[in-house]
Amino acid sequence: MALQIINAGPPPEEIADRIRAAIAQAMPEATIEVRCQGPGHFEITVTDAVFEGLSRVKQQQQVYGAITALMAGPTPAVHAVDRLECLVPGVA
Amino acid sequence: MALDENVHQEITDLIEANEVVLFMKGDRRSPQCGFSATVIGILDSMISDYHTVDVLSAPHLRDGIKIFSSWPTVPQLYVKGEFVGGCDIIQEMFGSGEIYKTLGVEPLEIVQPKIEVTDAAIKALQQASAEHGGGGRELHLSVDATFQANLSIAPRTPADIEAVSSGILLLLDPISASRADGITIDVSETPNGQAFKIDNPNAPRIQSMSVRELQAALDAGDALELLDVRTPEERAIAAIPGAVLLNEEEAARIEALPRDTKLVLHCHHGGRAQQAAEQFISLGFSQVFNVVGGIDAWSQEIDPDVPRY
Repeated sequence: MALQIINAGPPPEEIADRIRAAIAQAMPEATIEVRCQGPGHFEITVTDAVFEGLSRVKQQQQVYGAITALMAGPTPAVHAVDRLECLVPGVA
Repeated sequence: MALDENVHQEITDLIEANEVVLFMKGDRRSPQCGFSATVIGILDSMISDYHTVDVLSAPHLRDGIKIFSSWPTVPQLYVKGEFVGGCDIIQEMFGSGEIYKTLGVEPLEIVQPKIEVTDAAIKALQQASAEHGGGGRELHLSVDATFQANLSIAPRTPADIEAVSSGILLLLDPISASRADGITIDVSETPNGQAFKIDNPNAPRIQSMSVRELQAALDAGDALELLDVRTPEERAIAAIPGAVLLNEEEAARIEALPRDTKLVLHCHHGGRAQQAAEQFISLGFSQVFNVVGGIDAWSQEIDPDVPRY
């Protein structure tokens, strides 16, 4: 039997940084908050004026689109986004 | 992340060729995850014709669809080429009624079901609520596609419909409510203690069809599936013209049909057809007929050229 190499992957804080960077690149004006909720699980809050007037699906697609690379593949760095909040600045 | 051009084309073709497409885990008959099953249940309550794509049997689509739509989870619903959402969003749109407009169908009529709860059942339900309820968890009654009713204690959802009977509040999702009018909830004593006994008069039952009615329906060209549930050996001796042997392949074809398809089953005398009819009822088919007297009655009353055996 061949030796199985198990890649533990980068630490959660580093993945959170990569999520932040990926969103910031796609949405330069956004305020981004990423909280790690255990291995591979994250909660994200993004505040950006571009969300104004968009449906919830379209808002979330903008964020998910920015981080797809981190979520795809057989062993994705981001296993699940438990909660994604998209806010418009100044709107509660 | 760039999506492979061929995969992009494959997905584009799928959502252009089908007005309503659900990318899911498993297929319509056997969803492989709870979220996919929930969306199937919602869609089935509104439309009969839609296309599903099983991403478990096509790994390139499993990732591809996430990149295609900028959406990280499956199931995903597309209507007229547009991404609509995943399970949460579809449940929400179903609760608000918005989904009807998206699909271009008439809203499901909200039925306020009348439910009867016997005195013994009231006591048992009150006790169950006291023990397991609270914290936003309330009594739910659900009725599935085969009209099996189930009681549970679960959080309330925005789509829930309230039914009050003898002071007991029951919550039903709109699909269950449409199947629940006239239900009686009772308790019965079993060797393992008390159990709820739910009688649902809406549950489809097997209907009878005489050979004369069958002949008239065939002559009129009525839309029906005439199924022969005997063995191939018996079929070699005698067969009703137009009947199809119910083998495995045929059964799979039938199971994929809309649940209101008229199914007419016959065997030699009616016994085996009755059993097969029960199976189709349990799969959710609502128009299931057993030909009274089977092919033997057909030989005697309709066509003496069909040999008796």
